[in-house]
Amino acid sequence: MNVIEVKGLTKIYKAQDFWKNDRVTAVRDVTFSVQKGEVFGLLGLNGAGKTTLMKVLLGLLKPTNGSVLILGGDIEDRAVRGRIGYLSELPYFPKYLKAREVLSYFADIFGIDEKIKKHKIEEVLKITGLDVRSDVRIKGFSKGMQGRLGLAQALLNDPELLLLDEPMSGLDPLGYKETREIILGLKKAGKTIFFNSHILSEVEKICDKVGVLHKGTMSEIKTVADIVKEHGDVEKYFVKIAGEN
Amino acid sequence: MRRVAAVAEYIFKQSFRNKILNVLIMFAVFGIGFALVISELAQEVEVKMVTDFGLFAIGLFGFLTLALSITVQMFEETELKTISMILVKPVTRLEYLIGKYIGITLTILMNVLLMLITLMVIIQIRGGDPWSLKLITAAGLIFISLGVLTSTALLLSVISTSVPGALIFLFFIYILGHLTMHLKHLAEAINNTAANIVINIFYYVLPNLELFNLKDKIFSPSGLFSPRYLGFVILYASLYSFATLLAAAYVFEKKEY
Repeated sequence: MNVIEVKGLTKIYKAQDFWKNDRVTAVRDVTFSVQKGEVFGLLGLNGAGKTTLMKVLLGLLKPTNGSVLILGGDIEDRAVRGRIGYLSELPYFPKYLKAREVLSYFADIFGIDEKIKKHKIEEVLKITGLDVRSDVRIKGFSKGMQGRLGLAQALLNDPELLLLDEPMSGLDPLGYKETREIILGLKKAGKTIFFNSHILSEVEKICDKVGVLHKGTMSEIKTVADIVKEHGDVEKYFVKIAGEN
Repeated sequence: MRRVAAVAEYIFKQSFRNKILNVLIMFAVFGIGFALVISELAQEVEVKMVTDFGLFAIGLFGFLTLALSITVQMFEETELKTISMILVKPVTRLEYLIGKYIGITLTILMNVLLMLITLMVIIQIRGGDPWSLKLITAAGLIFISLGVLTSTALLLSVISTSVPGALIFLFFIYILGHLTMHLKHLAEAINNTAANIVINIFYYVLPNLELFNLKDKIFSPSGLFSPRYLGFVILYASLYSFATLLAAAYVFEKKEY
């Protein structure tokens, strides 16, 4: 079953000049799908269109052309949005609140039943290792802890699909390891994960399949096993693909 | 409804723990307290002076609370990109906008109440009647005018792409909103059709904030405190806020992040 199905997706932005006459094509005619239980890594240089593609999948941007199906439905549908989790790059939370308060807010937004809300919050705090710091104000959190809190809010609704935008961004090597372990745990639990990252060594350890986006076009989609067999590692493959284009 | 309440509670809680807002509230309370010093200057009309100054401070600090709340919200949403994490969840943009409106107006209400209580204590110290219905009504109307300005501020925050831009327009509307009567007189005085049309557009589009300004009338016998006038002002505030929030919801629905 396809959890994400993208056909002929194009996104053209109006440029920020005063008359908005210029147009910038950020994503051009992209077609791909992600199957249930798969971990899909989206690779690309800066400005390749990764974030734009992620935002279109999330419904934050409207496609200029083409279609996007998430969990078999439209992302505008409230029921579909209730089945996905999203972590933005370098997530920010108000410094004066505590992790538990932030999670309580997001649980209410998800419409999680009051009876199980407390249990759900405890569960995600434990998964992300924040259970010991849950009553500390976010002001005292490191970047890594804020990232883990971002992941915790994305897991509150027990999502079938997780979309992670640069989940390793700003983390130290220990943070990489912790985040990788959480993602691998989610993979083991059967979650479908779509994420973009620049950390190619982590992509290789986590993903089943990768797609390379270059200048808005999806160059190639391959399994990590095939890439390692043909090129040795993901980094060599990526440098080759990005260099060729 | 639960989602609207969650957004409102979150924004209210966030505002009340924000250091800058806390400092502003402290300033506001000290500002009203300063009325005690001012009243020393006026021998015979000290209660009037305290009341005038106190109500002026409530309006000003209430507006500053609104401006600061909008700045904090806009900065976090657009610059720190917190809005994307919320809008991908099962909450409609309309629910989010209404929650935000309620959250900000609750913050302003708490601030206005704190300042009003301080003012009432000072009036009591100066031998006046702190429970005067006119005083409480005047403060209530200041709060309602701030509610009207909050809906306008939300519209500006969704139209504008930058925080300073939205703030400049908000201050511009705050000032012009108190001068709309003069705009009307100006339109009548100018003998130019094009200028008349432009001035009239401003007159009808901008909120008429002077309608809510009753602080000068507390000590003069005036019909402006009649239930009929108050009913008209409340109806005007409700319709204006509803129309502005509707426009904000329309723009917000179309906006890409």
